[in-house]
Amino acid sequence: MNQTFDFSRWWMLVTMHWVENRKRYLLAMLAMGGLMAGWYSFILVVYKDGAMNPFVQYATYYCGLYFVGCLYASTIFAELGGKAQGIRYLSIPASHLEKLLCGILYGVVLFFIVYTLIYYIVDIPLVNVGNQGILKEHQVWAGTTIPIGKIEVFSLWNNEWAPILDKQYHMLLLGYFTIQSAFLLGSVYFTRYSFIKTIVGILLFWLAFVIFAVKGIEEHLPQGWRTYNFIQWNNTANNAAQLQLVRLPLWMESSLFFLIQYSIPFIFWFIAYIRLKEKEV
Amino acid sequence: MDSPSMVSIRDLHFAYRRKPVFTGLNLDLHPGRIYGLLGRNGTGKSTLLRNIAGYLFPEKGRIEALGFEPGKRQPAFLEKVFLVPEDFYLPPTRIGEWVGTQARFYPSFNREQFDRILRDFDIPADARLDEMSYGQQKKTLISFALAINAPLLLMDEPTNGLDILSKSQFRKVIAGTVDETKCIVISTHQVRDLDNLIDRVMLIEEGKILFDQDLETISRRLTFKISLDAEEMAGALYSEPSLKGNALILVNSDGEDSRPDLEMLYKAVVLEGEKINKAFR
Repeated sequence: MNQTFDFSRWWMLVTMHWVENRKRYLLAMLAMGGLMAGWYSFILVVYKDGAMNPFVQYATYYCGLYFVGCLYASTIFAELGGKAQGIRYLSIPASHLEKLLCGILYGVVLFFIVYTLIYYIVDIPLVNVGNQGILKEHQVWAGTTIPIGKIEVFSLWNNEWAPILDKQYHMLLLGYFTIQSAFLLGSVYFTRYSFIKTIVGILLFWLAFVIFAVKGIEEHLPQGWRTYNFIQWNNTANNAAQLQLVRLPLWMESSLFFLIQYSIPFIFWFIAYIRLKEKEV
Repeated sequence: MDSPSMVSIRDLHFAYRRKPVFTGLNLDLHPGRIYGLLGRNGTGKSTLLRNIAGYLFPEKGRIEALGFEPGKRQPAFLEKVFLVPEDFYLPPTRIGEWVGTQARFYPSFNREQFDRILRDFDIPADARLDEMSYGQQKKTLISFALAINAPLLLMDEPTNGLDILSKSQFRKVIAGTVDETKCIVISTHQVRDLDNLIDRVMLIEEGKILFDQDLETISRRLTFKISLDAEEMAGALYSEPSLKGNALILVNSDGEDSRPDLEMLYKAVVLEGEKINKAFR
């Protein structure tokens, strides 16, 4: 048998995880659905007119996804935090890669699918309820006489209400996998309080990045040049009519976006794999 | 002649942060034996077992177990080694479910043997693991560890938490399990629990093996007796007062047959180590 990855051994690990955690997972799914339904009911009762508008759906989906997804990811390797559970986890005759992939399957793939399914199970009927109210009560947008038309169910990939950056690059959705992979790494890296410590770690990393991108780069720019955003710099020394702008070459810009969109989770998963191999209990 | 060693430890160095535990430990473990690893709390017994099982990594030196480097934790190694830790974790499921998912990882697992040992320990086969007492959980884990039929079985304080009847049952079950292909290492500070069970004694103190002998050799070289004879007392390697007279350890010069008193031997090695070891040179 292959000592790095064997599908049947990995599948045994997956089924073992399910048998040991299914009660907890089923309860968590019910709780998630209940919380979403409770929140939407509150919105429908309190705001009434166009309450289920796409922005509310959009915000609800992503707030829940980021919070619950990261919270769950920070517990994926929580067994390694204690001696008794850690010994048990490391003693299971499966490779580190199989253990990591089992964690990714539950924490990343299945969680995302299940969360999205639960979201739509709650969202679709409540959007219908909202639309019936709009029809029955001839609702109009607040402060206007413009009638509220039929509200569409939130589309995960093609949301009209999303900010431009998100519409173009799906940054919020792909960014979720990046942030979540940091929490997954945190669950291997930190033995205690991994959720809080990962938040602190991400904030410190972001702070260092911003300082570097703004101050660090500006130190090396000619007089009057400032950072406009992370890929553009402008010269504000002269008046606005003579504004000069420099941006990264297009290929570099798109390569950078591609890297940010798709590569960071893989990098963090790889580091988590190394940490898993180095783990001692 | 001894069979080739199953575990070979050479020049093992290990420390917890700045506190050294082992500084150049050498040890060989052979199949077909039950080793009693005796020592006070905090002398490195558990650390040694965890190094052998691959849950801790040596700072320096080499460990080879069953032809593997334990620290790599390859599945083929993990299915041949089982550690019953002092503090352990069992998932909140029924015994049957737990065994069903866990046993598939161990090719030599024998379900009938598991059920038989469980019956011997008087554990109901359909009990829930999370509703059992600590002692019952420990007996279930020991039953599983034995039914795996792993060539190398490591047990850290296995009799802690067991009642008197269970301790004697434990001795019986272990004695019935060992064969020429298996090596069992039992670490304990409750020396009497290993009476009539082990066939080799290793005493560990301050991270060093102070004494490592077969029980057969011990009874050939040493005599354990109660005596009031002043001459015998004067020639004793170790003596301590007892209710019936003085408990003595003497050099067995006339081939007298006596059963080694492990507790007394332990004290003698710790207090008069040089004298005792001299008797074996």
